[in-house]
Amino acid sequence: MSQGFRARERTVLHFNVADFAVAVERVEDCRLRQRPLLIAPLQAARAVVYDMSEEAYREGVRKGMPLRQATRICRGAVVLPPRAGLYHKAMLAFFKELQGYSPLIECGQADGHFFADVTGTHRLYGPAPDIGWRVRRQARTGLGINPIWTLGTSKLVAKVASRLVKPVGEYIVTAGEEEAFLAPLPVAVLPGLSVRELEQLRHFQLTTIGALAGLSRHQLMVPFGSRCDYLHDISRGIDDTAVCRPSTATATVDYEHIFADDSNDQEEVEGVVAALVSRAGSSLRGRQQVARRIGIWLRYSDGGPVIRQASCKNGTSGDFLLNTMALAALQRAWTRRTRIRSCRLVCDRLQRQSPQLRLFPEQEGRELREKKVLTAMDALRSRFGHEVIGIGRRIAKGGRQE
Amino acid sequence: MLSSTASASSTGDPGRVEIARPETACGPGKVCPVCVGTCGYSYTEWVDSGFYPEGTKSAAMLGLYGRCFSVVELNYTWYQMARAEPLTRMVENAPPHLLFTAKLTRTMTHERDPNWREQLALYRQGIEPLRKRLVAVLIQLPPDFDRSLANRNYLAALLDGLSELPLAVEFRHHSWAVDSVFAELSRRRVTLVTVDVPALPGLFPALDVVTNPDLFYGRFHGRNREGWRSGNMQKKFNYDYSVEELRAWCVGYLPTIAARADRGILLFNNHVRAQAPRNAAKLATILAEFGSGERI
Repeated sequence: MSQGFRARERTVLHFNVADFAVAVERVEDCRLRQRPLLIAPLQAARAVVYDMSEEAYREGVRKGMPLRQATRICRGAVVLPPRAGLYHKAMLAFFKELQGYSPLIECGQADGHFFADVTGTHRLYGPAPDIGWRVRRQARTGLGINPIWTLGTSKLVAKVASRLVKPVGEYIVTAGEEEAFLAPLPVAVLPGLSVRELEQLRHFQLTTIGALAGLSRHQLMVPFGSRCDYLHDISRGIDDTAVCRPSTATATVDYEHIFADDSNDQEEVEGVVAALVSRAGSSLRGRQQVARRIGIWLRYSDGGPVIRQASCKNGTSGDFLLNTMALAALQRAWTRRTRIRSCRLVCDRLQRQSPQLRLFPEQEGRELREKKVLTAMDALRSRFGHEVIGIGRRIAKGGRQE
Repeated sequence: MLSSTASASSTGDPGRVEIARPETACGPGKVCPVCVGTCGYSYTEWVDSGFYPEGTKSAAMLGLYGRCFSVVELNYTWYQMARAEPLTRMVENAPPHLLFTAKLTRTMTHERDPNWREQLALYRQGIEPLRKRLVAVLIQLPPDFDRSLANRNYLAALLDGLSELPLAVEFRHHSWAVDSVFAELSRRRVTLVTVDVPALPGLFPALDVVTNPDLFYGRFHGRNREGWRSGNMQKKFNYDYSVEELRAWCVGYLPTIAARADRGILLFNNHVRAQAPRNAAKLATILAEFGSGERI
């Protein structure tokens, strides 16, 4: 630490609404509280479970399980389609509650997960456990949801603590207690470990975090290579990761489509990508930003995601160039014949749209026309909804799409 | 006057003062040891306010606290269920003279859980590592917990469930200030907490009633009338007791309660800006002065 500067012990609160989609649906309709609940796309032959209630979980239902199997296991369950807009609204409402206590809040994607760094706020709001308790009380009375809250000196410790008290409860890990707290726990509760790493740890009989913490960086380097530092630190409760405030300037634009039936039909998949691009483009133009990179995240029927990206130097918010980039990324990602379960489009490396005009207006011809079309489409969409208009594709002779 | 019925002297342990009791109470030569301390000890704010040295980490606070006081109230057990492992580690690292009181978890007081009997069992297990150094379990009841039949039955069941532990009950609702309640607490040897709160309607009054001859338990919450119902802890417990106020309290209450109990603890809850430890130290000095012959 540099001279004259002393780092303050961090105080990080983690809030986690277990089965967030279920919790929100139950706020909307209190009759659902009496029965097991599954959230999954309806009217689809191979729909998978998006979220499930604790009762369904206890009966063996898991996220990503085929809906048919889930309804066989949990016969009395009510099945509802996911309502992303509603979950996003609930996230915003909770975020607003938290904002009363800290300016540093990080939240997940409609999953009910929040981190709030309350370091140094004690003079205004009192001790951190009191903030955790108050936020939970406000969430219960104001929003009808009952989050877990945990307190630690880092996101890592607070996150692990939350995994010990699901589906309801609280856990305070006192500063200085991190290593002792983690030591007896199974390594599987540590966040950020891949399935392969967990298998390796099992192979070496390193079942508890304490056993992992007993190894030096050098010892860990042999089987885990560059991951040795990460494993060494998290096993001792060391985590300097900052709680990142969502900022419009650095945020990503992110849309996902889950296929009702897994698909490997090129036309259907490219159509989905075009629809996602259209939404992302509209969102970027609304924020007066351009994206310099597009990522396509494909999840196949049988496994984890494949992520590939395409970028352009100057950035764009126009659907046409965005679509070209997205298709390039799709081509890189889609290398197997296995059917695809979901497709996610992430626009990042965002920057503000340049107000500078072209030096020679005649260069703008096609670009200007496209811009006018998009502006008109945005105006229509803002008034009548996004689905009211879209960009078609022309099938040229020989079946080639244009 | 306090000086006419009791006298005090400080002992080796910090924040501990022995109050001599009148001969009529328990025979000649008996003293009532009184420990002063605070409700909670782990406040970052106390570093900023100078009670703990600059740069003190949370893990070092209990050791430093023990240099000034001999008793502390654990209030984090109100926020979360007491867990044996962290409490074991805490007790192992605590100064050997330090005694503890622990608040009962809110799921049995302020936010009563439907399965509160299970919670009670968990609490008893969780608190076990403190057992040898546990002065009392504090059952702090919420302001809306009035003396209704249902609440009386609940409190009786709660006291039954915790009967193996030394207990203290703090009421916030004035309806409990009746002789029948004191008689029942006396029968059960449960301590009635002597509170010092702002003079506001509806609050349980400050009384010099002792229901347990083993222990008296005083809690000083501050007298901030404006902040009390603000919903903000930093306002509610922002109060600095003057020497005169503390002397007046000693004169008004201490002779009676010290004469009727074998030992006592006096804890300050006005934690804002480290006023609690400063006021506790101030009170310990007042009690010690009394022992040296000065009149309170």
